[in-house]
Amino acid sequence: MTQIPSSQASQSVSVRRPFPLSHGTTTLGFIFQGGVIAAADTRASAGGLVACPAVHKITPIHSHLVVTSSGSGADCMLWERILIREIRLYQLRHKRRLSIRGTAKLLSFMLHPFKGTDVCVALTLCGWDKDDSVENLEETLGTTDDCSPSVSKDVLSKTNLQCCSGPKLIYVCSDGARLQGDIFSVGSGSPYAYGVLDGSLRWSLSKEEAISLAREAVFRATHRDAYSGNNVDLFHVTAEGWKQRQREDLKEEYYRDMEKKGKKIDLKMQKLPK
Amino acid sequence: MALQDLCNFQNILLEGETAEQSPVRFGKKAASSYERGLRSSSLLDFYIPVAEYLDESPIQFGQISPDQSSSSSDSSLPPGLPLASSQPVPLPFPMAHGTTTLAFVFQGGVLAAADTRSSCSGLVACPASQKILPIHSHLVGTTSGTSADCALWKRILSRELRLYQLRNGHRLSTSGAAKLLSHMLHPFKGTELCVAATLCGWDDRSSSRGAANGQETDLEAMPSGKVSLIKSSFLKQQPCVRKEASLSGPSLVYVCSDGSRLQGTLFSVGSGSPYAYSILDQGVQWGLSVDEATSIAREAVYRATYRDAYSGNCVDVYHVTSKGWTRRTREDLKEEYYRERERQKEEAEKKKLIHVLKT
Repeated sequence: MTQIPSSQASQSVSVRRPFPLSHGTTTLGFIFQGGVIAAADTRASAGGLVACPAVHKITPIHSHLVVTSSGSGADCMLWERILIREIRLYQLRHKRRLSIRGTAKLLSFMLHPFKGTDVCVALTLCGWDKDDSVENLEETLGTTDDCSPSVSKDVLSKTNLQCCSGPKLIYVCSDGARLQGDIFSVGSGSPYAYGVLDGSLRWSLSKEEAISLAREAVFRATHRDAYSGNNVDLFHVTAEGWKQRQREDLKEEYYRDMEKKGKKIDLKMQKLPK
Repeated sequence: MALQDLCNFQNILLEGETAEQSPVRFGKKAASSYERGLRSSSLLDFYIPVAEYLDESPIQFGQISPDQSSSSSDSSLPPGLPLASSQPVPLPFPMAHGTTTLAFVFQGGVLAAADTRSSCSGLVACPASQKILPIHSHLVGTTSGTSADCALWKRILSRELRLYQLRNGHRLSTSGAAKLLSHMLHPFKGTELCVAATLCGWDDRSSSRGAANGQETDLEAMPSGKVSLIKSSFLKQQPCVRKEASLSGPSLVYVCSDGSRLQGTLFSVGSGSPYAYSILDQGVQWGLSVDEATSIAREAVYRATYRDAYSGNCVDVYHVTSKGWTRRTREDLKEEYYRERERQKEEAEKKKLIHVLKT
């Protein structure tokens, strides 16, 4: 993951990029009937060099929230740790977990003082909000930061129930953007992933179909984008929490894809210097 | 003659590095001396705005740096690149050539598809422009970059190919046409000329070549053979049919005004190209039928227009076979978009139903 290309920064880089990079990665997240899928590649690039081929771009925050990161690797790691700490403190103080929307808001406000600096963080929070039971409603109305005090309690309870349960996907970026949605893909490989996802994403996908769609999207992006590659990580978040799928090397997928298309891979040729 | 040119050449060198004194003004200090000599003694006696971005990677042709875009008043270039800092969501890469065009080779010939939106600095200048231009009966070119430049160079190319055909009694191959176009564009390298075309054609060597032209066949075949050696190992995995029949059959070459000339089996050019690439990579194989290939091409352009702001409106699909090119009726993607919206609405209904049942 590379630094943000502010116009000043790009001129100080000694290796010329073909285009200024925003985030050299491919991460994606989408919501479907079975929860939230978060997928990402594992390549960390630094100005045309692969700094690390096996990076974790998806980090669990708590049992029902994972965050995919993009942008500067160091910044993302730091802010994830800070977020984990803050969420845990909130949980200890208020005896309940902060909603995903609240988490996103908290993160956005924490990043705000650094707007305009070189901090480059683009996170997608993928999680599942636990249903608020009626007994806790009075507590939550008093304490949650999503409510404004002027709105009546009935309306508040309805909106709280609707917005605070089920799968959630929120994109937070160090520019200040905070967007809730059903599908996000971030990084230099994101257009390639979008092309695959837009065509096939349906609410009614089964779990296996959704996983294979996410894998396919990351694979296509790593195939075309130079700054994405190596392996694919996949997390699936449901009401029971997150589950991580085993990291998979996309090299095998590439060979399978070539064979499917009837193209033989000549291993001898690959060793020839070009 | 040659000696005079050489003397001229030397004089230009001796005159010194000040650009203002020479008859042709340059925007860039480090212009090669050959070009300088060429320009001063040739008929090209006008201002050639050699842009500063030449200092950067040649892959970055046609892309204006943010500080330059504000100073250039010429709006003929495709949409001004949005500054990353002014975007609420950072772009994965700056926009280049506001369009989506694609072409690929399969067993039924070559398929070329493109959207029809011409954009200009964020305004849709024309929602029904033609980005795939026929050059002759068996050659079609997709255009990307500056529409004016593309239209002009396509006409020039058609004229040159026709002249070749009349003089030599046979059509020039696609790779020959690509080479011709590339060499014609070369003097303008470094200027603001922006043309990125893929030439899609069907070469017919077996019948029209006489014994006398056997030599030329080899000469023309060699350069394209060289190009194919340089291309990646991915392309080396073509089935045997393709390798032996590289002189005849479907052919696809990408030519661009910064000098690249690449032969391949799948190309997509423009700001919408990444969106199209992922769809094409999934579906394109040699053994597709014509209908399957058409539907993949349509889907790829549709996906690109869905996500890319600078692509849209309608889709054109051209199919080149041994009998020539055929054009599918222009299809408005609005219909496809509404069909998808309907489907999403139905899904949202189902989703609400399930949600209500759960709670």
